[in-house]
Amino acid sequence: MILQILNRTLRVAKALMTPSPANKDVRYEAMHNPSRYRGEHRVDYETCIGCDSCNKICPTHAITMKKFPFKKQNIVPEVSLSVCIFCGLCEDVCPTKPEKSIILSGGRYDMLSGGWHEDQNDFWVHTDVPQSYIDSRLEDEEATRVKKELATKKKVAEAEAKKKAEAGEEIKKVETTLPDFNKGVLE
Amino acid sequence: MENVRKIIENFTCEYVENYKKTWLKAKLSSKDDLLNLSEAIKKEGLRSLSTVSPTDFLEDNIMEMNYFFEDLDTKRNLWLKVDLPRDKEGCKIESLTPLFASANWHEREAFSMFGVQFLNHPDLREIIKSEDFKGVYPFRKDFDWDAHEKNQTQNIQQIVDAFKKEQNENEKDLDPDSSETILNWGPTHPASGPIRLRVHCDGEEVISIDPDIGYVWRALEHLVTKKDFVGAIVAVERLCFMDNINSMVGYCMAVEEIAEVEITPFASWMRVLLGEVARVSSHFMGLGGFFNNMGLHTLGMWNMDTREFFLDFLESYSGARIATASIEPGGVRYGLDMSMFDELQKALDKFDNSVGEVEAVFVKNPTMKLRSDNVGILTKEEVHEFGLSGIVARASGVKTDIRIDEPYAAYGELDLEYITQEKGSAKDRFMMLFLDLKQSVEIIKKAKAHIEKAVADAKMNPTKDHMVKVPKKLPKGEAISRVEWARGEVLMHLVTEEKAKTPYRLKMRAPSFNHTMMLNHLLKGQTLADIPLIFGSLYICQGDLDR
Repeated sequence: MILQILNRTLRVAKALMTPSPANKDVRYEAMHNPSRYRGEHRVDYETCIGCDSCNKICPTHAITMKKFPFKKQNIVPEVSLSVCIFCGLCEDVCPTKPEKSIILSGGRYDMLSGGWHEDQNDFWVHTDVPQSYIDSRLEDEEATRVKKELATKKKVAEAEAKKKAEAGEEIKKVETTLPDFNKGVLE
Repeated sequence: MENVRKIIENFTCEYVENYKKTWLKAKLSSKDDLLNLSEAIKKEGLRSLSTVSPTDFLEDNIMEMNYFFEDLDTKRNLWLKVDLPRDKEGCKIESLTPLFASANWHEREAFSMFGVQFLNHPDLREIIKSEDFKGVYPFRKDFDWDAHEKNQTQNIQQIVDAFKKEQNENEKDLDPDSSETILNWGPTHPASGPIRLRVHCDGEEVISIDPDIGYVWRALEHLVTKKDFVGAIVAVERLCFMDNINSMVGYCMAVEEIAEVEITPFASWMRVLLGEVARVSSHFMGLGGFFNNMGLHTLGMWNMDTREFFLDFLESYSGARIATASIEPGGVRYGLDMSMFDELQKALDKFDNSVGEVEAVFVKNPTMKLRSDNVGILTKEEVHEFGLSGIVARASGVKTDIRIDEPYAAYGELDLEYITQEKGSAKDRFMMLFLDLKQSVEIIKKAKAHIEKAVADAKMNPTKDHMVKVPKKLPKGEAISRVEWARGEVLMHLVTEEKAKTPYRLKMRAPSFNHTMMLNHLLKGQTLADIPLIFGSLYICQGDLDR
């Protein structure tokens, strides 16, 4: 009898001493976090060739393509995480090498935890492209465009010059009428 | 097989040919012969009708009916086709329900989705689809889904109105002086899941049960036709989250058959391994669910603990615990990092350490045995008649297991044996589930050892051998594939058009559909308290019930 009681107290004491397995705050640290884990997307706008194939294969239409003002390779995927089912097909289908432009594996797992979200925009992977990048792309394109134009201009230079001269005269006429109109309003 | 061929050749057929090892494929010239032919082959022994699958050929103006007959004993199967005109007046055919009880719901489904009228069907009501699709047939190729979805508020109102009408009228014909009522069991009952049983009962006694299904209808068979052959796996795997791998295996086998692609030995062994891991994780939930429905949640909790280790392996391999999307046409989607097997070994060790305790406390539990040994008994005859499969069939002593009958992936190289129980009661189904779980773990161990050895001998390359290229455009063709799913037999019927980028039609025959059909049969005359127990023992998943 006494032995039994002792035995049981010992068992309880042991159980109290062993650390609980539930000692991680899984909001910030996953219990199991493999390298292939399909989490939040990362989009590399510089390598993305704008082929649209991730958008085409997406089974839930979670991807929308963001447009840029320049002409070539001018779309980049943006993902709505509240629609996405994290199947990873967009990553599979991405043709860029060696690094894929859209990657889920190894992505963040805590995107939906960690506090209170009031805005649907919190569940979007937005591709924030700095203005300087857009400007540089525009400049590049402008440069190539100008180069091309100069080449073509040489061929049709004379005819174009004539037309431009005529058009230029017309614009001058319009400009002269405008100040008159303004004066009338002010008086 | 020769006998079946002789019987079919008595009727005028466009062709009769052998298909795979266990199948005969035939096309009837006239729909009038169908009833006589099916009666003759029923006498021959093909007693179960697996499913009915119409295919809508809009351009040819033809509705092609596919019937899949099976003989669970001698493993002879027949794939019978017959053409119907497509227009709504002519799209009529004799019902097979008087001959094959399992045809009942399958014909109702074909009627609701394609508008095929079955003459002399005892109970031809619409099933699965919601009330706003009443009178229209959503799987017909000329159905305009976009136009339907534009009137969303109106559609929802229609569903609500129909439900209110049913609630107002369902007790109209009952005797007001008796204690008869119509009871809604589910969809918010803790044991039900998204299904509603209209239980017509007199006090405690159940008079009849009419299941209302379709609460999680996603029209997967239609969604698949909107995706390419690779993207379709995410729709197919959503047949049921508990065992998603094997459904993808079935679909991929059908695609590979049409594309005439052979997968590598490594991929086929991986399919076995992953499939069994998924089966184990499903069986854990089934076992827990059985006890949950009896009111004891401990087994469920213990199983969840062990299951988590198996899911960790799936997560390491594919990147997701549940919706793995890890089987693609041409093999398996990812290469294998051999260190992942350490995690699998951890799971197997955990299982080996805990299985004894589970067996002692739950499987040999005298209270459970007393409670469930004499309820929900399914005889061998009923298994054949209603086309049941998987653990439900094996619990009644029917030796059926697609892994052995029609070996796919690498199952042919494994030495498997049928595990059966005798009586077919709820307890036997629970025991069957437990034995099946143990067998699956053994298969995992064998597959793991085989892969490890082959990799060590440099016969397999785990990082490169996983995929064979499958062309993006497939030729015109059709194929069926069967897999032993956690819940029973899944039959996939895939049809493609010339230079197809997407499946033209994919029929998924899911086992829970047949098993739910049994509820009325099993519960008639029982008490209300038996409903959760028998429902739990049938191992039904609403995902594959509704699709």
